[in-house]
Amino acid sequence: MVEPQELISFTQEIFSTMIMMDVRPGEPITGKYEFFQSSITGMVGLAGKYKGMIAIHVPDNVAKTITGNFLGCGVEEINEDVHDAIGELANMLGGSIKACLAESSKDIELSLPTTVLGMQYSLQSQDDVKVMTIPFSVEGGEFLVEIQLQEK
Amino acid sequence: MGKKVLIVDDSSTMRKIVTRCLRQAGLEFEEVLEAGDGQEALQVLQGAKVDLILSDINMPNMDGLAFLKEKAGNDAIKDIPVVMISTESGDDIVTEAKKLGAAGSIKKPFTPDQVNETIMPLI
Repeated sequence: MVEPQELISFTQEIFSTMIMMDVRPGEPITGKYEFFQSSITGMVGLAGKYKGMIAIHVPDNVAKTITGNFLGCGVEEINEDVHDAIGELANMLGGSIKACLAESSKDIELSLPTTVLGMQYSLQSQDDVKVMTIPFSVEGGEFLVEIQLQEK
Repeated sequence: MGKKVLIVDDSSTMRKIVTRCLRQAGLEFEEVLEAGDGQEALQVLQGAKVDLILSDINMPNMDGLAFLKEKAGNDAIKDIPVVMISTESGDDIVTEAKKLGAAGSIKKPFTPDQVNETIMPLI
């Protein structure tokens, strides 16, 4: 399993190098967050030696700020750029976690990123996975980084 | 005459970030061309001559490794240097990309300094 400090480091590295934003971690949460409001979720799936998923859950207003910093311009609405940016964050987190877990790149396959958006939505997962969620504070609000893993 | 670069990534955000990072790294290109996957990149290369290709690995339709294979079999474009820019950083993937002709690789997330260090010797 990935340690909380590793997930924090990966997230901070991605935000500081690619988005030039400082993110501050909160206390890791072991329970599942299943219901989201006015948010966008970026996810990548893992298959192979480990299966599961890595997700980043971002409230709409924070997603617009993050995308604006990513692109170096203001973002007024949730558009294709926001989907793309949040999906790419999930993709980079997935790559870092894969490198941490896999001895060989072929041990774990990463899916292409997908995004889900809505005023209200729920994400359900299997019961037999280990879940870790870390809240982060960032300019304009908070977001969650979640990892669900099962070793095969 | 200025140099041209082709950025291949299914994420339009990432293509913009790579373009910005090239500028921040002090690498000036006369023209930046874009493609969303390997197949689109091959189409772009039919109509444009570029000096450098920066390509993601995980992409739909035709991924970065398949693109390298196709490119290696095409005399008109086989000598254009390709640098892989990807979340995939495992030694075996990097080795496979190099076997297929990649001139270098950069792991996402990356800094302008890392981009400069890898690309400068190729242009």
